[in-house]
Formats: sequence, structure tokens, C-alpha cells
Amino acid sequence: MSNRANPATHLQTWMPLIVLVILVLGVGFYDSTFFSIQNLLTVTSDTMTLFLMASGVTLVIMMGSIDLSVQAVASMTSCILAVYLSRIGAWAIPLAVLGGLLAGFSGGLASIWLRIPSFIATLAISGVVLSIGFWFTEAKSVSLSEDVSQTYLSWAINDYLGVPNEIWVGLVFLILLSAVLGLTPYGRLVRGIGAQENAVLASGINVDRIKIITYTLSGAMAGIAGIVMGARLGSGSPTLANEFLLPAIASIVVGGTAITGGVGSIWRTFVGALIVQVVRIGMTFMGVSVFAQQIVFGFILVAAVALTMDRSKILVIK
Amino acid sequence: MTAPVLELCNISKSFPGVKALDDVSFSIHAGEVVGLIGENGAGKSTVLKVLNGNYQPDKGEIRVNGKPVVVTSSRQAFDSGIAMVFQEQSILPTLSIAENIFLGREEEFIRFGLISKKRMNEAAAVELAKVKLDTHPATRCADLTFADRQMVEIAKALSLDSRIKGQVTILLDEPTSVLEQKEVDLLYQIVADLKSRASIVFISHRLEEVLHVSDRVYVMRDGKVVKEVPAKQATVHDLHTHMVGRQLQKEYYREARQLVPKQEVVMAAESLSREGAFTNVTFNLHAGEVLGIAGVIGSGREDLARCLAGHMRPTSGTLHLNGNPVAFRAPYDATEAGVGLVPAERKVEGIVAQFSVAENMTLAALPAFTKAGIIQFARERQTALDWIERLKIKTPSPETMIGSLSGGNQQKSVLSKWRIAGVKVLILDHPTRGVDVGAKEDVYDLIRDMSAEGLAIILLGDTLEEVIGLSNAILVMRDGHITARLDAPPGNKPKQIALVENMV
Repeated sequence: MSNRANPATHLQTWMPLIVLVILVLGVGFYDSTFFSIQNLLTVTSDTMTLFLMASGVTLVIMMGSIDLSVQAVASMTSCILAVYLSRIGAWAIPLAVLGGLLAGFSGGLASIWLRIPSFIATLAISGVVLSIGFWFTEAKSVSLSEDVSQTYLSWAINDYLGVPNEIWVGLVFLILLSAVLGLTPYGRLVRGIGAQENAVLASGINVDRIKIITYTLSGAMAGIAGIVMGARLGSGSPTLANEFLLPAIASIVVGGTAITGGVGSIWRTFVGALIVQVVRIGMTFMGVSVFAQQIVFGFILVAAVALTMDRSKILVIK
Repeated sequence: MTAPVLELCNISKSFPGVKALDDVSFSIHAGEVVGLIGENGAGKSTVLKVLNGNYQPDKGEIRVNGKPVVVTSSRQAFDSGIAMVFQEQSILPTLSIAENIFLGREEEFIRFGLISKKRMNEAAAVELAKVKLDTHPATRCADLTFADRQMVEIAKALSLDSRIKGQVTILLDEPTSVLEQKEVDLLYQIVADLKSRASIVFISHRLEEVLHVSDRVYVMRDGKVVKEVPAKQATVHDLHTHMVGRQLQKEYYREARQLVPKQEVVMAAESLSREGAFTNVTFNLHAGEVLGIAGVIGSGREDLARCLAGHMRPTSGTLHLNGNPVAFRAPYDATEAGVGLVPAERKVEGIVAQFSVAENMTLAALPAFTKAGIIQFARERQTALDWIERLKIKTPSPETMIGSLSGGNQQKSVLSKWRIAGVKVLILDHPTRGVDVGAKEDVYDLIRDMSAEGLAIILLGDTLEEVIGLSNAILVMRDGHITARLDAPPGNKPKQIALVENMV
């Protein structure tokens, strides 16, 4: 009865990767320049902000909860970065991460302390954070000067060994978070909470603490995503990461992490983010309007949830 | 002779590791009251769930008025003339009595697409009159007493009577366990009235009651129907013997291995109370002792167990552990202090079904398997292997998902979890529930092993017999109070009746 022996489960495990390969081949068939190393690197590096944002949310979703605040948090941290980088230099970076971390922590605290569903708590925090971004920048886009960017943000915008630094940053967090999830007691408990929270609670685990840590991590990752995004675009704005929430959740679910919790991984989200990006590029190639693309992501999200969830046992939908 | 109204023919149903029903046949004729009895786990609930469409039998068929039917939902069961009054109530507390009675069958009150509350209430009043419940049908069910809600359930079943053609069969699952004597008498009266219109299956633990109301009695044991007797010819003693199926063997509960507890008091409760649950509970639990707690549902013993394990907080009184006062805010405080709970709801609180056996076993002791922030997987695996061998847990490997094991093997894994965590006090809430017969004996052996190692155990047994057989001493609870404290040394165990008279 071991799960590993089941070929259907096997297929499900590798399905996202197979889909990615098929999509890449499909777009490449349409336009063969897509296959150039340079282009593939560009596509990957364009995906990294999405991945960074989604990686933290992956942990939250694996607990069976959700974090809807990440898009607003990323925008806010880009503002913190843009406003403070010219004033306090490199310290603006940890400050921005701290901003994200605090936003995540607040969302978690609101959800756990007041015992309210995570989607409401993080949605509320999202509104608060959005306003903070507006307040920081006086509702304007703040640009980063070229030399300030080169001095403090070269780790995010230049190349190393011919590979864009965004990819290195993405890979570092892919490995780091995968290790946290796969090798530490914390990671195991995140999975356990998603699978059967009551049993984890009854085994003498401080479940609330694990949850707060996870929301905080999610906020911090959104903060890092906001910094990288700001660095790439050379500016910070309170709406910088708009239209990122839906693709971020789509990345997680398309990668095969169950929205109900318990099952998932960071590499899945990495693959899922690439799928979302390739679909986006494919649509652009085929002339689908940017405004219509969210429609497609909406469909992909619903389809992916329907495919990855074991719905046979679910009778009541809330 | 006409065909029986309801008939089960050679029904079998298996779950992983347990044969819940094994070739079960029984029949109910028009106007008959049939008793169905058996110990917990004998298969009564499974029979009901098959009839209600919750489970599909692996083999055999259900016949209504001689015709085979396939029941896949409770609605379909209802339309076939089978109504059920479940032990766990199915009343929705936020709806009114009338809305509950006609839940899912509102069609007859719909006019121009809207439900006529007035006509629904009128129709409900007719059903309420049958159970002599003098309450307005628009009353919210949350405002009713537990017993009144039970009456609403029965009224709901009775509403079938005037609404379908042909005979109605009503299954009453432990209908009296929450009722006062006056209400029980009323129920007898209702059952007698109903005989002219319906057939009734009466499921109860209380054998006297079953004999009192039934025409015939079926006795189930280990998933089989072992006996069918006319009620007039049976005595409580007969039924009991058939149910248990063996003369009470001392060896079954490993009485020879029962030890005299040590002097050392591990856990001491003094005037422990929780408002609305239990009052002034005082006891000393010694190292190596098995302290049984007996009581019916609502006696407060479940809540007491959960307070001792940190799942709930007592509202007054003190609890000492090894002489130090403790106040658990949450289960983690209790685990930290060395108290573990083996919960009654194993699938919800006992195991993480998607976790491997090894992951479940170390769940309460993860820090001990962590070095520099990383789980020591090899050591974890070795520990799991040791316990799998020691407790004879049947699993292909420590990596197997625990959800795929049988109930008994899951339970042994849960016990291993607390042993690995090194608890000093273990609270066993129905440790043999959903565990097949052979594995039950293994669990009894384990309990004796743990006592021998000095663990203190609080036991809420599945049956009285189990509590008596396993315990060194027994606390009997009624309505939140301790009504008796009995010693249960090997060879001089108290009789069940001595407990029962303090329970009800």
C-alpha cells in the first residue's frame, strides 16, 4: 500500500515537469529563437520574482492556510527600498525585508490570536500594507538612480558566470527553503499541520508558533521578491507587484502543491512559476492581450486545483 | 407468509485489516420490533451505515418488501422506507424543529417557489404530537434539551410514516442512552403505538430494555450474527453470554500480570472541577498503577481526561505532577511535563494519516531527533524499527504511510509515540476502539508492560469489562461527580453491577 509504488501517483509527481517541457517545446516550435540559451536564461530570470513571492506562500498553503497579502507586501518593500536606499544605503535592504517580515507576522498574529480564517486576516493586512506603501511614496513611483542601483543592488541585477543574478538568488532560496521544508522539524510540522492539525496539536506541538513563523517567513519572502522586483525595474511603487497574486497562487497549485495542505514542495512551485511564465510568453506570442491574460490564469488556477485535489472525499465546500 | 419488510441477505463488508461484517443476515416483518445487540465493535453501527447508504456492502443484498434495493444515500434509504435515528444526532441546531423534520423534503410545502413556513409548521406539529413533545415547531433546535432533540429525531423518522407507500422501518440507535426514565417510558409507549404502522429495529446496550420492547433479538459478535432468539425465551444473562461469547477469562485481560502499584504518587488531583463538566474530582495516581474511570456519556469523564492532558482547562482545583503544581495551557505543556493522551478519535487526533509510521512515532519527541537543526533520519528510522519489532507492528517498512495500516497497528504506533517521548503518565481514552479482536489483546499486553516499567495510566475503557479487567482501582463517575472508588485487585475484581449502580 506504499504510496511510492503507485504508478498513477508517480505520474502526478512528475506531471508539472512534463507539462513544462511540453509547453517549452510548444512555444519553441512556434518561434525557434525561443530555444536560444540567452532567451531561456531571460525567461528564467523573469520568473524569479514570481517564484520568490510564491515560495513563502507555498509554506503557508502546505499548512492548509493562505496568505493573500504577498502582492501588497512586495509592493510596499519596493517602496521602502526606493525611498531609503539613497538615504541610508545598504541598510535599506534589511529594512525592507524587516518590513515584509513584520507584515507577515501581523497577518499570522491576527489569524491565530483572534482565531479568524487566514484569508480574511491576510486580506485585511494586505489593505493596511497597501496604504503604508502609498504613505511611504506619497502615492508616486520613486525611481532608483543608476549608480545607487549599481552600488547596492548589483547582487540582484548583474550577471555572474554569464547567468543573471536573479536566477542565483532564486536558486539560493530554492535550496534553502527546500532544506528547511525537507530536513528540519519545522518543515515536517508544517506538512503535519496541513495533513492533520489536530493530531499534531495532540502530540504536544505548539502549532500556533509554527504557524506564526510560517506567515512571517512568507512575508519576508514577499519582501525579498519586492526588493528584487524594485531593483530590476529601477523603481519602487505602491502598485509595483499588482497582478502578481493570482499568478503566484497559480504557480503553487500548478506545481502540484495541494491547496488543502499537507502535500507539496518548493521545487514544485519553482516549476509551477516557470509554467506560468512560459504560458504568459506563449500568449504574448500568440497575440493575447496583457489584460486578457489574467482570464487565462484564472482558468489555469481553477483547473489546477481541480486536478491536484482529491475531491472524491470532499462533500462540503466552504 | 408475506415477505419481510426489510431483509439483509448475507451482507459482508471489510475495511483494511478488519472484517466489519461477515455474512450477516437478518429480517424484520411488518409490525415487529427487533432488538439488535452486541459489544462495541461487534458490527451494529456498520449494519446501520450499510442500511443508510454510507457504506456499500462487498457482498450480499438488501431487500425491501422482498425486492432487492441498492442504497447509496440516506435520502434513498428514506424513500425506500428506512428511517434512522442515530446515536450522534443529525439535527442541525440553527434550524427550527419543523425545518429539521422536513430537511431535504421541503417540496410538499413549496408554493410559487417559496416554502410555506405555516404549512410546514402545521405538518411538523402533527409529527411532534406523535412523540408528545409539546413545543412550537418554529423553535430553534439549539434551544432544546438534548433529550428533546432526540425526540425531534424520532419525530423526523416518524414523518416518513404518512408520506410513503408501503411499510416503514425505523432504526433506533441507542435511543435511550441520553434519556431520563420518564422519557424512556414515553419512548416505550411510542414504540408500542408504532407497531401497528411500522417495524422497528431497536439497538441498545441496555439489555433489559431490549428484552422489554422487542419481539425478537439478534446478537452480533465480531461482525457476525451469532444468535437469534425470541425475546420471551431469553434472559439478560443469556444475551450477555452470547454477546461476549466466552466465559470471562481472567487471562484475557492479563490479570496475572497485574502488579501492586508503587508508593510514589505521580499525579494528584485535588478538587479539580470544570464548570458544566465535572466537580470536585480528587485522586492520587501512583507509578505503575492503572486507574480506570467508568461512567456513561455525560458523566464528565471524557472532559476530565482532556483536562488532565491539557486539551481543556479546569476552572478550579489543583493538579500536581510529581509533587509540583501544574496548570496546562495547551497539550504542549502536558507533553513537556510528561503526560500523553491516546485519544478516542484516533484518525483525527492520534495519527497524521499522510505521515509515515516513523514520522508519527517521533512526532512528540522531534527535538530529541534533531541535531544542529536537522532531523537525524537514520536514528529516527532505527528507533522506529526497534519499536515496530518490540510491539510487533505489522507494517511493510517504517516509511509506509500509517493511514494504510489496520486500526490495531495504528494504535500501537500511537502508543510507541508516547513511549518514545518518555511520558510518565499516559491517558488512554478508549484505547481499543476500532481495534480488531486479536490486536486488542496485544494492547492489553502493552498496558501491562507499561505498568511494569512504572508508567502511570488512566484508562477510559471501551467496555466496563475492559475497565474492570485492566485496572488496579476504578473511579466511577455520574453527572460530573465521583460516586464510587473501587479497588480491583487480581482475583477479586468488582462485579459490573457494582459499577453500574453508581453510574446511573
